[in-house]
Amino acid sequence: DQEVAAYFLTPQEERILSRQYEVVLRKFCAEFQPPMPKCVIGTSLSYFKRFYVNNSNMDYHPKDIMLTCVYLACKVEEFYVPIGQFVKNLRGDREKFADAILSFELTLMSKLNYHLTVHNPFRPLEGFLIDIKTHCRDIPNVERIRRPAEEFLERSLLSDACLIFSPSQIALAAVKFGAAKERIVLDGYIKNTLLKTASEKEAENTLYQLRRVKFIVKGVEPVPREQAGAIQKKLDSCRNQENNPDSDVYKQRMLEKLDEEDDVKAKKRAKLSDDK
Amino acid sequence: MDEQGCPRCKTTKYRNPSLKLMVNICGHSLCETCVESLFVKGSGACPECETPLRRSNFKLQIFEDPSVEKEIDIRKKVLRDFNKKQDDFPSLKEYNDYLEMIETIVFNLCNNIDVDNTKRMIEQYKKENKEQIRKNLSKVSKDEEYLELLIEQEQYESFMRKKIITEDEKRERAAKRKHKQALIDDLMFSDKSANEILNSHKEAVQQEQEELQAKAAATAFSTGIRIGHHNEIVPLVKQDFGQLYTYRPLVMEWCGPEPPSMDDIYAEGYLKNVRTASDSERAGGFRESIACHRALQDAYCGLYSFPQHFSIPGQADGPDALLFTFSHDYFVILNMFVDNLLHGLFVFIVDRLQCIIVGLCDS
Repeated sequence: DQEVAAYFLTPQEERILSRQYEVVLRKFCAEFQPPMPKCVIGTSLSYFKRFYVNNSNMDYHPKDIMLTCVYLACKVEEFYVPIGQFVKNLRGDREKFADAILSFELTLMSKLNYHLTVHNPFRPLEGFLIDIKTHCRDIPNVERIRRPAEEFLERSLLSDACLIFSPSQIALAAVKFGAAKERIVLDGYIKNTLLKTASEKEAENTLYQLRRVKFIVKGVEPVPREQAGAIQKKLDSCRNQENNPDSDVYKQRMLEKLDEEDDVKAKKRAKLSDDK
Repeated sequence: MDEQGCPRCKTTKYRNPSLKLMVNICGHSLCETCVESLFVKGSGACPECETPLRRSNFKLQIFEDPSVEKEIDIRKKVLRDFNKKQDDFPSLKEYNDYLEMIETIVFNLCNNIDVDNTKRMIEQYKKENKEQIRKNLSKVSKDEEYLELLIEQEQYESFMRKKIITEDEKRERAAKRKHKQALIDDLMFSDKSANEILNSHKEAVQQEQEELQAKAAATAFSTGIRIGHHNEIVPLVKQDFGQLYTYRPLVMEWCGPEPPSMDDIYAEGYLKNVRTASDSERAGGFRESIACHRALQDAYCGLYSFPQHFSIPGQADGPDALLFTFSHDYFVILNMFVDNLLHGLFVFIVDRLQCIIVGLCDS
């Protein structure tokens, strides 16, 4: 068992590696030309996290999946960027990246169970701000909350919050955090407008959830660089070569697939001529 | 379409049903590509019967049977020389004999019977009747005359119709002008009041129109169905519509407080805090209330959601579990419906995520 852990990646190591790649994804999206809207970043991070809930880093290397997630998110969020322009933002062998992305796209979609619509917390945040402005007339300049709330949301994207809580809960936690920063008291608003239709238990549960969100997001730490580097090296030795676009095994498989297609066509042709 | 296929490259016909067959004077057919490849020089031999052929002799095949095409070809050539008309013969019998002779010639040439003799007969005939043939070339046969007459008649009719239409228009315009003049004159010089004059003129114009319309009463619609009562009753086909549809209003499960409806949005002043739609957006049908409504729905929906197999630590019931593990495959599905714009599906996937949360009570 010790040997297994020494050779393959343990779950903790996989988490660290995934975190590291999420940060890389963030940076990639920030430098992307043309400038990328926030919802695309949120959607691609959601895809990334969801994918690695059910699949291992060793089977599918995070760097391929990360690019495929961003590409797919661009398409889904109606920010389509052609593949040529997409890989222009990368450094290195562009054609190889383009091939890798296009070949992993269908795999990614099927592993996500084709649930491609992601509800990001950005719109609920807007909703809450509108609501506060309409109902709490006595609070001046509610827009002050926006900045810290948005930072909270950005940090929550690096945690697992989007997998556990509903987007409205995350957004409300962000609003509470922002209000606390600006020393605005929103408890009245929350109790009256939001929880008035809720039973006692429900209200308590909701408040509990908000506290949990805050705890999780606060607990987000930056990834130690050396550790991530060491894990990467380990991954290189133990990864599943079938899904590595650089490996020979993979290329063999691709060729076989192409041959298969030709075989199918030839068989069909033979059948037709036989019928005639 | 064609069961036999091109005799040379057999498979090409099945793959490309739009490919055409070309036929030539020997009566054998070839597909276009074979023609091109065989006759790249311009002349060659037919692959079946070895007759020397030229590329220009190939023409598109219309009939399925290439022998029919061959016969058509031969017939055309023969008739160009044997072009006497019925009037050239003193009696019907002689005309029929003449026609019989033509048929024999064509039959012989088609089936390669006695070809030399037949050809000699043709040459002889041509020599004897050189003058006649030349004269007949220019004469137009009776059938053709009849057709030309019909065409002329049609042209004449359409021309007359156009003339009538333009004349009618001119008349109408002149009549209008006259009426206007008369009206103005009356207004200027008559003793009656202005209203009376106007009314009388209007009546006169109406009467005229009615007369015109009565003349043009139609008896049939343009599709040919006759106007008026018929005794033909078209039976009505009884249709089975299935079960009657009953309306059931949509029930939304918010799992949170109920968001304000569209009316509330307008009434309670939410729109003051929303960016107003620009003119181009309004033209497309977009309203600020739509975006506002959607944002509020997103904000309220799912606020009370809470995993079921869960209990808050420090509660009265439940053991003190400091270590929480979420159950596999926990799904909460909510339906969001934004007016008539989008269907949104919420899918939460929480799977095998081990989260160690210690002492969450005061954070």
